[in-house]
Amino acid sequence: MEPSPEKGEAPSVVDMSTHEKVVELLNQAALIPTDEKLTVLKQVQELIINKDPSLLDNFLDEMIAFQTDKSIEVRKFVIGFIEEACKRDNELLLRLIANLNMLLKDESVNVVKKAILTLTQLYKVTLQWLVRSKAVSDMQEACWDMVTQMKGDVLALLDSENDGVRTHAIKFTESLIITLSPRTSDSDVPKRQEGDISLDKVPRDHSYIRYDVLCEEGKAALEKLLKFMVHPAISSINLTTALGALATIARQRPMFMSEVVQAYETLHANLPPTLAKSQVSSVRKNLKLHLVAVLKHPCSLEFHGQISTLLLDLGMPQSEITRSTPAPREQRKRPRHEQYTEGKKVKMEPALIEDDEDKEEPAPLSVPKPAAVPVAQSAIDLTAEFLRPLLTPENVANLVLISMVYLPDVMPASFQATYTPVESAGTDAQIKHLARLMATQMTAAGIGPGLEQCKAREEDLGKEGDTEDDSLAKDLLIKRKVPPVMVGQAISVVGQYPEKAPTTETPATVKRLPEPILPSAQTKMTGASGRKKVFRLADVVQPLSEAQIDNLTSKAVKRILHSEKAIAQSGMTHVRVKLLSRLVTQFEGVMKEDVLKFILDDIRTRSDLAFSLLFQEYNTYLSQLPSGLLDSYDHCLYTLLSGLQEKPEQRDGLFTKLVLEAPIITESALEVIRRYCEDESRVYLGMTTLKELILKRPSRQFQYLHVLLDLSSHEKEKVRATALAFIKRMYEKDHLQDYIEKFALNYLQLLVHPNPPSLLFGADKDTEVAAPWTEETVRQCLFLYLSLLPLNHRLVHELASVYTEAIADIKRSVLRAIEQPIRGMGMNSPELLLLVENCPKGAETLVTRCLHILTDKVPPSPELVERVRDLYHKRVPDVRFLIPVINGLEKNEVIQALPKLIKLNPIVVKEVFNRLLGTQHSEGSSSVSPLTPGDLLIALHNIDSNKCDMKSIIKATNLCFGEKNVYTSEILAVVMQQLMEQNPLPMLLMRTVIQSLTMYPRLGGFVMNILSRLIVKQVWKYPKVWEGFVKCCQRTKPQSYSVLLQLPAAQLTSVFERCPEMREPLLLHVQSFTPHQQAHIPASIMTVLEANKKPKPVEPVVEKELELATTASAAEETPATAQKEPETPIQQEAAIMKDEEEPMEQEESDPVIQEETDNSISQVEMVGAAETSSPHPEPDEKPDEEPMEGSQPEPSSQQEPEKDMEADVTEAEAGSGNEDVK
Amino acid sequence: MPSHPLRVAVVCSSNQNRSMEAHNILSKRGFDVRSFGTGSHVKLPGPAPDKPNVYDFKTTYEQMYNDLVRKDKELYTQNGILHMLDRNKRIKSKPERFQNCKDKFDLVITCEERVYDQVLEDLNSREQETLQPVHVINVDIQDNHEEATLGAFLICELCQCIQHTDDMENEIDELLQEFEDKSNRPFLHTVCFY
Repeated sequence: MEPSPEKGEAPSVVDMSTHEKVVELLNQAALIPTDEKLTVLKQVQELIINKDPSLLDNFLDEMIAFQTDKSIEVRKFVIGFIEEACKRDNELLLRLIANLNMLLKDESVNVVKKAILTLTQLYKVTLQWLVRSKAVSDMQEACWDMVTQMKGDVLALLDSENDGVRTHAIKFTESLIITLSPRTSDSDVPKRQEGDISLDKVPRDHSYIRYDVLCEEGKAALEKLLKFMVHPAISSINLTTALGALATIARQRPMFMSEVVQAYETLHANLPPTLAKSQVSSVRKNLKLHLVAVLKHPCSLEFHGQISTLLLDLGMPQSEITRSTPAPREQRKRPRHEQYTEGKKVKMEPALIEDDEDKEEPAPLSVPKPAAVPVAQSAIDLTAEFLRPLLTPENVANLVLISMVYLPDVMPASFQATYTPVESAGTDAQIKHLARLMATQMTAAGIGPGLEQCKAREEDLGKEGDTEDDSLAKDLLIKRKVPPVMVGQAISVVGQYPEKAPTTETPATVKRLPEPILPSAQTKMTGASGRKKVFRLADVVQPLSEAQIDNLTSKAVKRILHSEKAIAQSGMTHVRVKLLSRLVTQFEGVMKEDVLKFILDDIRTRSDLAFSLLFQEYNTYLSQLPSGLLDSYDHCLYTLLSGLQEKPEQRDGLFTKLVLEAPIITESALEVIRRYCEDESRVYLGMTTLKELILKRPSRQFQYLHVLLDLSSHEKEKVRATALAFIKRMYEKDHLQDYIEKFALNYLQLLVHPNPPSLLFGADKDTEVAAPWTEETVRQCLFLYLSLLPLNHRLVHELASVYTEAIADIKRSVLRAIEQPIRGMGMNSPELLLLVENCPKGAETLVTRCLHILTDKVPPSPELVERVRDLYHKRVPDVRFLIPVINGLEKNEVIQALPKLIKLNPIVVKEVFNRLLGTQHSEGSSSVSPLTPGDLLIALHNIDSNKCDMKSIIKATNLCFGEKNVYTSEILAVVMQQLMEQNPLPMLLMRTVIQSLTMYPRLGGFVMNILSRLIVKQVWKYPKVWEGFVKCCQRTKPQSYSVLLQLPAAQLTSVFERCPEMREPLLLHVQSFTPHQQAHIPASIMTVLEANKKPKPVEPVVEKELELATTASAAEETPATAQKEPETPIQQEAAIMKDEEEPMEQEESDPVIQEETDNSISQVEMVGAAETSSPHPEPDEKPDEEPMEGSQPEPSSQQEPEKDMEADVTEAEAGSGNEDVK
Repeated sequence: MPSHPLRVAVVCSSNQNRSMEAHNILSKRGFDVRSFGTGSHVKLPGPAPDKPNVYDFKTTYEQMYNDLVRKDKELYTQNGILHMLDRNKRIKSKPERFQNCKDKFDLVITCEERVYDQVLEDLNSREQETLQPVHVINVDIQDNHEEATLGAFLICELCQCIQHTDDMENEIDELLQEFEDKSNRPFLHTVCFY
């Protein structure tokens, strides 16, 4: 069988005997895997079948044992082996046929198929073997019985479930039919099958095998095959196979050609409706192929008309048909020849003669057949002939019109494929064809005159040949005797076979067509429209209209929906819920809305339905995944959430529950959550939900977080505050920190824009993009940032950088807003210290503001002071930095800064003094000022008038005097004492003295003492002081008289020159002295007192004397200064007027100038940058000023304190004036 | 799973382009595949549509290659014929004619209807012996390189699906219907017997 394995094995087997080799191989085979096993077994087969068949018997059992092998391939191999073995030694059939029978019922279809193939071969082998053996043993009989039974089994497999098995069964049937029918001279005999057995080789006198039975079985098989073929649900492959089988049968057994052609015709007119379009083309192609094959057979001549009509219908050109048609000459010979050979056989069989007679009787019945008809007339033929004259144009038109009604809506694939335009309409040939087509249909439907005739004929036949199994054999005989009628007769006899079933009285051709599967009514109905159909529900039911469908479904759902209570009572709520959610998710539209509305009507009790629905929607989405859309789920979730959100009251947390359990939060759902959070009454619940989302849905937490962050700048205070509180908590989570921070900084960054971005107004206010910044919008950008600031001090630098770039309005708002957070940070914050240390350019005011906030209530820490000091000394020499930390500075530092400080805006100065004097409104600041009040006042007096104008100093001292609580009389006394001891005397000494006296008149005595001591210090050498001295004396008279009297005469004269009105009283005063006392008064004084009596020129002399009396060094210097002094105040006055506003601008101008120079330096590169920086100087001016002034920038208020002070002074003077009067 | 690997034959008319492309891919995927032509001659495009290069089935791919290089190397390089021949000769030495092959297959795939007809005619004209079925499927593929590649993938997918069926004969019908729907082209399908 397989030469290659044998060759391969040959060398190694040389030494061993074949027997030994086989044993070894079989032993191996038992243990090795399938693939190798097959190879080994094939070797064994080769050895024991071909090489040494004598061994076959020995090893048969071992080989057969493999039929129970697990492997399908091995079992199939065993079948092949059985076939080969039986062919080699027919005797083995006795032993092996039962095994084959077992394998025929194997569980694997592949094994069964193989077994069918083998049985196809072995059936012939067995028959031949039995026919050959003259004496048939019991065993042989049993074997044949089994084979026959197996044959029956395989024929039954035509109804198998399995397509492949059916295909094999068809092929088996084909082979069976050929075997069980006689080979005739006109049979095509394939070379290979020349030796095969066929019915003609079966002796009629065989002891066991009965020719007639076999013949009958053969026809029954054909019958079965033909029936099988018209099964309306036949698969295309089965149909193809059957078509091929029929062609083979027709060629090898031309006696069946009529049936075959008719079957083809019927099929062509009734292609199974189950076939797909491409299958129709495949089948038609096959049909064409097989028709041509049949046409080529010489015996086809009689059917030429039918076949060529079919071929034309199948689209074959006439020329090709002609080419395939055999030459007609031979055809004539053939029947004769046939008759001849058949005749011979008849003679050999005397028994047949009886049959012959039987048969001859029906023959006359078919007499009505016109002699011209070459073939025995079947019912179709008869009906066709009956119809033909009736097919007048009018009738045909009517038929067409009537049949219109039955046309299906959609053109069936088979029709579409088979339809060819009628070319020869109205011609005789066409009418004939049409008649035949109709006849085929009518016969199939069981009507028509032909059918009736055949029936009648059959009945007659039945009466006579009743119960005669042998009738078939008789028919055969007749065939041979009456060749022209042969085929037709055969058919009618075939029809007789199933006659046993009394109900089926129709003739053969009719019998084949309808199947029990089809109810007869159905057959007729479909027959009318030209095709047969399987029962399909769609054919008998009217499709509902869209609206009807919708209506019905929604009603159904509604019923389930509203049966809530009833179902709840039965305890099947969960089923209802499940059912509803499943149903609703499958449909679009109103139904969903209804259910959702229903849920929302009473969400509390229907929440399980809500959840179920939601999950089901999600499930649907998941199941369609890569392409699925969330729309439907989204809609469901959105509707539920909005419904909950709009409900006025519910405290059971259903909203939260729904949000937290929803598999996915969609955009729109998030929108609802947001709206929920914006509702002031639910803001806490909403944000708690949002928080849960953020924490528990990490995959999209930033999306959720974003919403929360958005809310942090919400216009509603409560929403905002809650959001901020939540964010602060979130901020503690490391992984969220970044995002929150970024968001906050982004918002902060918005402040850089000249106009507030539309972002801040929400979508609906988009139009107002160009609106200016307002306090509100600025704060919006700051809320989040500022609330984070105390948590993360590092952020403060961002503020500084934004601040430097922001416009004035924003700066102002920022400064106002930062108080709380900065205070929260505290002055120990390293970042804040760093900010102070770095103090970015442009952020000076910010830093100052921070410093103020920090030190507002708490004394500055040394670190802070250190930073500020550094900043002041090294980078920005703006004295205002020092103010907040002034109490942390060293005494001398303060004194140093004092000139600059007092030049500042009066309010600022006031604040400085408050700090220094500890007179802030703040409570319990235990800050210890580096300067005592006395020190301060003294320091003020000692300010170098080059560094600061007198007016400022005066104002500053006035501030001191304003603090009556601080500057008590004692302190003032000490101050005066100290000042007076200074050398030279401070210019403002006497002013202070006078003012002190005004404040505390009881200091009078002390002042007198001072005055006297001033005389000792030759106070007249200091013109200003001297002036004050005089003024003071003037005010303090009469107390001052004693002092005046201590003056040298020249000075006294000078006094009187200034205030002549003093002289008289003083003189009176002296005259009131006792003479003793008067004696103490020098004459020169008296002279002065008595006035005009003394010539003036004396004075210089006296002065000179006095001058000489004083210490030389001091005397020489002081006049010099004194002489200058009268001039300087005037100059200073002017300077002061200028300076008044300057300090502010000066600080300002510093950076501005720098910037400008910067610009000019890098002019070329900075053109672009300059554009942005150039607008700075102007807007900067104001904001920088303002922080110093607090919130009162009006110049008028600047003036006011000045006026006040002057008023004070005048009042004081007025007061003293009053005293004067008294 | 079928118990043995499918024996597949891919057939076009000249056993050059479509069948070889499929042969190439199928053999790479581990199929037991062979390829054939059904024409009486092997025809390759020539300098003009009416002047094809005609060879008989005995000519090896190598010889054709050399012949064409000699005739017009540039033209045949440009239209991809040389590349195709080069590929072919690495698969097998020469084209084979289906009608001359007596080996048996489980599945014959043809690349155009004319070829399908020729294969059916040939198979039906053979004498039946074992009655083993062979399924013949036609997949229409235009005869150019791109379509050949696409077609080859389709064929390959089809073969893989068939190979993976539990019971090929029982399921092939349905499978082909699915494939028709999927690939949107009709398949002719029939069964023949050896």
